[in-house]
Amino acid sequence: MPPPFAFSRQGGRMNRMEYKKRVFAYSAILPVLAIFIFLRIMPIFQNFLYSFFNSTVVNPTNDFAGLQNYIDLFTDTLFLVSLRNTTLFAVCVTVFSVSIALFLALLLSGKTSLGGLYETLYFLPVITPMVPVAVVWKWIYDPTYGLLNYFLSWFGVKPLGWLVYPDLAIWSIIIMSVWKVIGYNMVIFLVGIREIPDSYIEAAMIDGANRLQIFRYVILPLLKPIFLFVMVISTINAYNVFTQVFIMTSGPQGAPGNAVRTLVFDIYENAFRYFKTGYAAAEAVILFLIVLALTVAQLKSGGKKE
Amino acid sequence: MKAPSVIAAQVGKYTVLSIGVFIMVLPFIWMLSTSFKPSAEILTWPPEFIPRHFTMENFKTVFVTAPFVRFFFNSVLMAGVCTVSVLLTSSLAGYVFAKFKFPGRDFLFILVLATAMVPFETYMIPLYLSMVKLHVVNTFAGLVAPYLIMSYGIFFMRQNVIATIPDEIIDASRIDGASELTIFLKIIFPMLKGTAGALSIFAFMQTWAAFIWPLIITSSRDLWTMELGLGMFQYRFTVDLGPINAGSMLSILPVLAVFLLMRRNIVRGITMTGLKG
Amino acid sequence: MKRLVLSLVCISALLFLAGESVSAGGSGETSKGPVKLSVWGGFPEMEAYYKYAAEEYKKVKPNVEVTVLTHPLREFEQKLSATIPSDTAADIIEISMYANQKFIEAGLIPELPAKVKDFFSVSGRYSDFAKANNTYKGKFYGLPIFQGRTALFWNKKMFQEAGLSGPPKTFAEMAEYAKKLAKYDGGGTLTRSGHSLRISGQGSGVAEKFWFVLYPMGGTVIEEGKEKGKYHAGYANDAGRKALKYYIDALYADKWDNHSMKHDADAFELEMTAMFFRESWVIGDIAKKAPNLSYDTATVPSDSRWARITNPVNLYVTRSSKNQEAAWDFAMFLNDPKNLLWLLDNVGWLPVRQDIDLSPVIAKKPQMKAFALNDPKYMEFGYVGIAPFDEIMTKLAERLVSAYLDKSLADNPAALAKTIEAAANETNEILKKAKLYSE
Repeated sequence: MPPPFAFSRQGGRMNRMEYKKRVFAYSAILPVLAIFIFLRIMPIFQNFLYSFFNSTVVNPTNDFAGLQNYIDLFTDTLFLVSLRNTTLFAVCVTVFSVSIALFLALLLSGKTSLGGLYETLYFLPVITPMVPVAVVWKWIYDPTYGLLNYFLSWFGVKPLGWLVYPDLAIWSIIIMSVWKVIGYNMVIFLVGIREIPDSYIEAAMIDGANRLQIFRYVILPLLKPIFLFVMVISTINAYNVFTQVFIMTSGPQGAPGNAVRTLVFDIYENAFRYFKTGYAAAEAVILFLIVLALTVAQLKSGGKKE
Repeated sequence: MKAPSVIAAQVGKYTVLSIGVFIMVLPFIWMLSTSFKPSAEILTWPPEFIPRHFTMENFKTVFVTAPFVRFFFNSVLMAGVCTVSVLLTSSLAGYVFAKFKFPGRDFLFILVLATAMVPFETYMIPLYLSMVKLHVVNTFAGLVAPYLIMSYGIFFMRQNVIATIPDEIIDASRIDGASELTIFLKIIFPMLKGTAGALSIFAFMQTWAAFIWPLIITSSRDLWTMELGLGMFQYRFTVDLGPINAGSMLSILPVLAVFLLMRRNIVRGITMTGLKG
Repeated sequence: MKRLVLSLVCISALLFLAGESVSAGGSGETSKGPVKLSVWGGFPEMEAYYKYAAEEYKKVKPNVEVTVLTHPLREFEQKLSATIPSDTAADIIEISMYANQKFIEAGLIPELPAKVKDFFSVSGRYSDFAKANNTYKGKFYGLPIFQGRTALFWNKKMFQEAGLSGPPKTFAEMAEYAKKLAKYDGGGTLTRSGHSLRISGQGSGVAEKFWFVLYPMGGTVIEEGKEKGKYHAGYANDAGRKALKYYIDALYADKWDNHSMKHDADAFELEMTAMFFRESWVIGDIAKKAPNLSYDTATVPSDSRWARITNPVNLYVTRSSKNQEAAWDFAMFLNDPKNLLWLLDNVGWLPVRQDIDLSPVIAKKPQMKAFALNDPKYMEFGYVGIAPFDEIMTKLAERLVSAYLDKSLADNPAALAKTIEAAANETNEILKKAKLYSE
């Protein structure tokens, strides 16, 4: 007899199958959850606690400050600049990288000679380490001898200071970030597109649908969960951008710092340059809330309730 | 004879693809060529693609400066263990989140996903302190710990299960008397080949590229990974471009190998042709 | 299927155990056998020196085994933030005083033991600046090892072509020479900067290089106020305005440098600039990347003062070290004159210790002379040992980067003064928040 707690939502005792399902679900989830709690949730929560103190690295729960850190953040021009830059960055990188990746995946999902080679080459930027990548891109963006200005000069465009002027600098890093991440999104889309049964597409073609219609009415709907995945992780990753910003602004040829200041960079500076651990923790919490809101919004609008 | 519009479309397609590839691959070509340039040549302006004096000096420097073979081995071990772990935990959890209803399910899922929204560097010190308490500082266990699970992995699996596995299959098997575990292992897992392939690549890649955590948790070079080794060429005010590019080339190879291996899985996922009788 | 999963699990378990056997034991535990010392540094180029010194040390103390880990600086500082408070750091760490300041203030770093204090206090061994740098509340912390001192690099060939007999001796001369040395192409674009300025990039670098000009002109970033141990901004004055004007004029009035040019060591090695300020490591870099470059070094030009920045790096023995005495002994060994000569010759960083004869290396590398010069009139200045100093420098740097992009500041002393004032106000605010402000 199933134990008394095994009641289903409809009232009455669950049948054996329901009970077995529940047992499986919990026993599968709980271990994973336990690991998550230890490796992620606990430390994150500790950091969250620090945000209510004027913590320093040495003495995190030193000086209770309540919500003062949060209040100070909203009058901190650097934080606001970071917020603005990061949002611009995230929107642009997500929109461009997802759409271009989808386009490429569609192109490559059909019969393509050397398709494997193309896929591999498109994936190369994803696995190339950031340090050499940054060096090359600093050259590409160089005002005098950079490749980008060189190509643009064929179209009569005057040389631009891509990493020099604040207005351009953020676009330069957006372009570079899109470049680095397209292959990743593309592979995910390829997985999704290839899992669509050929029979569906054939049936649509027999019905007389053209490519665009097949895309809109067959592929896109079936791709929705994957599409949602790519949108959500692109957004999360874009909001968390750090390494390329740090490296592109480092050194004597670096881009102007504040022009491309992003939230995680600001958090890093506050935590590790100025040792204001509590302040940085509060900033991390705000970043988290923003990304959480966006993610939940995307999931709700995209997926139907299971 | 193909219709002219079809040919035009094909030409268009390959042109676009090729221009794209050129942009994608350009920096990589420069990196490759720099690995083979002597120091005096690396700093030319404008930079040149073809080394004037081809040299293996940089590769030699890499292996002489530090035990890079050891680092390579450590990286492979670490990435291998973590990839397997991520695959197992993500498939199981992803499947459960996708196909089972239980109280708190959506909340737990958002919670798991939410942990990916917090930048690692903000909680790595509390995490390190936990590792200290467990006495796993400077051990392999401590090194791989944060990479054993991946929120995106669970999310990815969940989405793919939703997209490709119809409820009917599962219910049919249940009615047939199969246990939940059997269903997972014999029906679900095989259907996720493409997804598992992609996830392996991503998990491997992420673990391979790990830098700050391995740097903090290790206090002996025996445990160093390749990425940490490459950091030895990042001097205070300059980067030693020759060895760093040579080392980066070497470091890309395993990840590329995993990609090529797993690609076979991604090429054809298992298609469902309907319920069997 | 079950088999596949089972085998996957077995494989990873095996790999895991293999990994465990691979992991190393603890560091520096005292045992009857060999003493193990671990050294952590933030300058990967120093790896060679520590390796060399460890081997030499084995000749003197064969039962001591020294292992070294060097890391890129940014991540190294993060590592210290995790390991020092948790007492899991190495025996010896190599880091600048100001980066260690917060740990010193929190009482996590032991002061110099008597033997080392005596070594440190020998008259003439370390400059007064170095001694003051390592003092906190009257106690000594850290044994200096090497320093980043600045000198002027100048291209002999370019000077000759421009008819200049030698390096500039004052900042006024410097601006004049830079104007003569700058080269333009037919279209008026700058192809060679007269002097390569540091005008962009994140971090505190821009402020540090600004300080090179500010200090000789009579100002400084922060200076002590009426209350000892408390400070206020030291550049809201003529010196600060003059220093900023120097940059603005360079960029927009005399135009001997601009944002599109390559800068720094790379530019000097590519012969795209005639002069620039940097530390001694550049000498080794030039030898590698531009061995035929015709150049020399000179002391920093003077203005109302004659001074150059000095950034000493120290060795600290951590409180968690189980072999404190052995560790300090090795730290002093690292300061042995013979070893320091090797350091200068092979790595290129200048030792802090002054009572050694550097002439053998200077004979080989004459450009080292300007760095090694110790003249009582040639002042030293450097980072101040207070916790918010890095924040002050970084925020000043960010303001300067914006100012350098602002064409409207040229020929506009009022706007320039306002810029300086705003920056100084921010500096004072930071000091006030840290309760370290005094007029």
